[in-house]
Amino acid sequence: MSTAKALAARTARRRRDRAALPLLLGPSVLLIAVFVVAPAAYGVYLGLTDTQLTGFAARDPQFVGLENFRNLLGSEDFLGSLGRTAEFVFWSAIIGQTVLGMLAALLLRHKWLRGKGLFGALMLLPMVVPEVVASLTWASVLSSESDSTFNRLLGVFGSGAAAPLQEYPMASVILINVWRGIAFAMIMFQAALEDVPDELIEASRMDGASALQIFRHITLPLIRGPVFLYLLLTTITTVGVFGLVYFLTQGGPGQDTEIASIQIFQSAFKYSQIGLGSAASVILLILLTILGMTYARLAKVEV
Amino acid sequence: MAATTTVEPGGAPAPAGPRRRTPLWAVVQRALQYVLMVLLALFCVVPFAWVVLTAVDADGGPTVGLPAFTLDNFARFFTDGATPRLFLNSVIVSFAATALNLACGVLGAYALSRYRFRGRRTFMFAILLIRVIPPPATIVALYLLMVKIELDDSYLGLILVEASAALPITLWLLKGTIDAIPFELEEAAWLDGSSRFGAIRRVILPLVGPGLGAAAMLTFMAVWGDFLTPLVLLQSPDLYPLSIGLFRSFTAFNQVDWGVLAASAVVYMAPPAVLYLFLRRNLMRSSLGGAVKA
Repeated sequence: MSTAKALAARTARRRRDRAALPLLLGPSVLLIAVFVVAPAAYGVYLGLTDTQLTGFAARDPQFVGLENFRNLLGSEDFLGSLGRTAEFVFWSAIIGQTVLGMLAALLLRHKWLRGKGLFGALMLLPMVVPEVVASLTWASVLSSESDSTFNRLLGVFGSGAAAPLQEYPMASVILINVWRGIAFAMIMFQAALEDVPDELIEASRMDGASALQIFRHITLPLIRGPVFLYLLLTTITTVGVFGLVYFLTQGGPGQDTEIASIQIFQSAFKYSQIGLGSAASVILLILLTILGMTYARLAKVEV
Repeated sequence: MAATTTVEPGGAPAPAGPRRRTPLWAVVQRALQYVLMVLLALFCVVPFAWVVLTAVDADGGPTVGLPAFTLDNFARFFTDGATPRLFLNSVIVSFAATALNLACGVLGAYALSRYRFRGRRTFMFAILLIRVIPPPATIVALYLLMVKIELDDSYLGLILVEASAALPITLWLLKGTIDAIPFELEEAAWLDGSSRFGAIRRVILPLVGPGLGAAAMLTFMAVWGDFLTPLVLLQSPDLYPLSIGLFRSFTAFNQVDWGVLAASAVVYMAPPAVLYLFLRRNLMRSSLGGAVKA
């Protein structure tokens, strides 16, 4: 075919097919607009009203301005849930997943290590199973029954049976979330470490640097960008964790594991305070945005 | 070969002197790292050992041990009460949502890849940014919205929501795949008399396979594993998918039937695993190689 002919066909076709664009893109835009964007916008509006699910106020919701926000910022329940979320994110995502994921990624870098394929595959398991299954497996491991895996492990060390989900609920769900997130950290760090040249590390070893020094002064600065990107992503996903914790504790015992996602769910669907729950969601989103921009600033990456 | 490359922080200190003098150190270090690897792997795997072993155990408890082998738990899962219904519900919602997601995704991604229009880049980045919002933060408003448009507590509502939630990823993935399909192939089809849509069907669809497989896998897994959306949107036990069913049977009774729960978990994990095996060849194959050169 001649180039000129093809070019002519292309231009003509382009003009005539303009009409097809709405047909092609329309369904996607419509679905995203109605079921993803509209709820987000609607949520901001609901946060400014006293909407309830049931009862007198449900019939005639009033616009109350910023009152929900004022109530929330003076409410111990909500501030407590924010604190627990911070605790949950810090220990499970920023410390646990990052450290263990980095260890796994560093291990996988060794040329002499045998069984890397199997190791990598096994590490992926906790991430790919549905969250309900993840919760269920840990419910069994940490069950208060005396023959649960955890209690038998305690027995080996000569200690009596315990009920970790009741006695140390926050530590338990943090441990479980670490378990679920190691694989994601490992994948991200593995990709980042590939860009660190072996020669550089070899040279620093020749100069007598210890492994710790090499990691601290050579490796870490070189993968700074990906590490902060990972921290940003894991913070966002960890703030959004709901099922994993709700399945096991429903926020309890008491309010010990009532992180913000569960608090929002409870206030909206258990206490039918839709307006209050929406306002809490908005505050959570604002905090998340601030946090995200801080990470981006720290990583000196363009977003 | 190097004795170690980067050792973990806080691990054993590396030998400071020349390697020759401390071969023992290197051996100890390697051994320590093998131990670390085994511990990490055990941490990740032991909970699953429980699921698999207890599912085939006649007197299953919350403990990892050698089972008294039986398939009774599975038999009870498929014959008892409402559990097959849960499985069926999960299948209906997941397949319908994935199909809808892919259908919209292919057309939308084609438009994003082949047309140049105002707001295209903005749209691409906007749908990516939406993904940053944690689902629990919009679920309250979503529920009320669905009640208002009378789509709560129905298959249709859940399918629409799930398909939309996974659309941004599908659009990005398929746009990348379609970008890689040479435009000349389509033009050739046009010159042979195909319409725009005819060319999409004859040229794009056969070649978009690997991307479609990946998108199908991601969407299906997201819908199949979702817990929060069905928990909020569905009230009728008749419509519950497996995720909610498992949760209810775990919390409803004081005496937990670990055997059946474990069997349910295995059944629950099977379809995504089968789909993965089925699509894996599809994911690996690049069907574009010879198309242009030939």
